[in-house]
Amino acid sequence: MPLNNTNIVSGAQTKFGALKGISLREMFAEAVDKATADAGIPKEDIQAAFIGTFIPEMLVHQGHTAPLLLDFAGLKGIPATRHEAACASGATALRAGIMAIESGLYDTVLVAGAEKMTSVSTNKVTEALAAAADDDFESAVGLTFPGVFGMAAVAHMDKYGTTEEDMARVAVKAHKNGAKNPLAQFQKEITLEKAMTPRYIAWPLKLFDCSPISDGAAALVLTSNEKAKEYTDLPVKIVGTGQASASMNLCDRDQLASFEASVKASRAAYEMAGLSPKDMDFAVVHDCFTIAEIIASEDIGFFEPGTGAKAVEDGITAMDGDKPINPMGGLKAVGHPVGATGVKQAVVIYRELIGDAGANQIPKHDVGLMHNFGGTGATCVVNIMRRSDA
Amino acid sequence: MNDESKPTVEAYKQYIESEDFHAYKCVDCGAVIAPPSGTCYACGSNKMEWTTVKGTGKLVAFTVIHIAPEAFKAEAPYYVGIIELDEGTRITGRLKGFDTNHPEEVSLGSRVVLDYEHGESGNTYLAFRPE
Ligand SMILES: [Zn+2]
Repeated sequence: MPLNNTNIVSGAQTKFGALKGISLREMFAEAVDKATADAGIPKEDIQAAFIGTFIPEMLVHQGHTAPLLLDFAGLKGIPATRHEAACASGATALRAGIMAIESGLYDTVLVAGAEKMTSVSTNKVTEALAAAADDDFESAVGLTFPGVFGMAAVAHMDKYGTTEEDMARVAVKAHKNGAKNPLAQFQKEITLEKAMTPRYIAWPLKLFDCSPISDGAAALVLTSNEKAKEYTDLPVKIVGTGQASASMNLCDRDQLASFEASVKASRAAYEMAGLSPKDMDFAVVHDCFTIAEIIASEDIGFFEPGTGAKAVEDGITAMDGDKPINPMGGLKAVGHPVGATGVKQAVVIYRELIGDAGANQIPKHDVGLMHNFGGTGATCVVNIMRRSDA
Repeated sequence: MNDESKPTVEAYKQYIESEDFHAYKCVDCGAVIAPPSGTCYACGSNKMEWTTVKGTGKLVAFTVIHIAPEAFKAEAPYYVGIIELDEGTRITGRLKGFDTNHPEEVSLGSRVVLDYEHGESGNTYLAFRPE
């Protein structure tokens, strides 16, 4: 049965990028202020908070982030819990918020995520991200996060004939959309030739196949049907949610050209919503690497396995295509502050659905799907959202 | 190390360090399991014992790491791959004897054999080289 009581009534993000001089708590507070007070939702109405942060312990030497961040943002005192599922931290926080509203425990909650990543070296960030893989058996031989997706790319190329140029086209599309988004880290279009620059990070993935290292925060307010009317005439309903896990070790999976947790989570969300891929107007998927977007577009059922790259080449996933994917630029162009990403994806869906996406507005925007994916694909969350009047 | 003892993750890592790779084996169904799991993927049993493997297998996936974590920085670029051992289990390790400048020449399905590599990090890694 579709969820029927969870509404998004506001959503906002900070600019993503290297936010020099702005600390984790400051960017968090900025996103929260935009999503609450600035949106006409008094902070006193927020009854609990669900916060996504991935690894502030290694990046800014700070644990126990939920109360710290809430205090700074003027929300001291309410229940505050931090959710960690690597890059899916934000979406697992969102799911906790959904469950809190659906259960009737709270009327109005805050879901937010943040990560400060640019204050340490690239090698240190690489090491922190590698903690999202199995430390004993994967990270111990020097496998990195880009390396995980490099292996998935090799498997996809071998099985379906996908090429490095196919992956580069995803980057070109991301930058084209990001160029219109004032909150994106990269607001500049790139040519296919530039995207193919042979600066390998983890072969066959090159610099332009990878999402950047970013700082940023995002926040959402969820509320019940009854309260939603007090805040907006046009809430967005979350109608389906799915989450799945898979083995941490990539080597323990039979299939490397698809991520089983993405397949499972999306099928669960579709089933709950009573909808299918053809009902979706667009999707926001976890394009931490270009190949990840191609595989995700297949795993969520938008395209048959092995045809995701062709859909990009044919413009189907472009902003004006039949199935736009990442219309605001995705992780690739907007940035990937890990704990913020899943929340930001929901903010993007919210803004597109209510027609508030500015130059990134897609023409058909009644129902959208978000896909947020953690680590080596060991966690995946998929949510389906519909504008309340659609 | 006592082969009769109940397998542990720590002992598994120690075997690799001593260049004497041992895998887990499910006592109930005989499935060979590596890296270690507390539960057999095939039958759900949690009774494990040690076993040795032939060390031969085929390459299932690989990448060349150019940007490495801090601890492996001095070793980059290096290959990491997933190998399916002839006993059926899949394992992640370094690849030796492949040219890091020409990964496009490496084919999936290539036969490889177990070896070890001493990293500048001071650790010994599970590695595989062409058979
Ligand atoms: Zn068994």
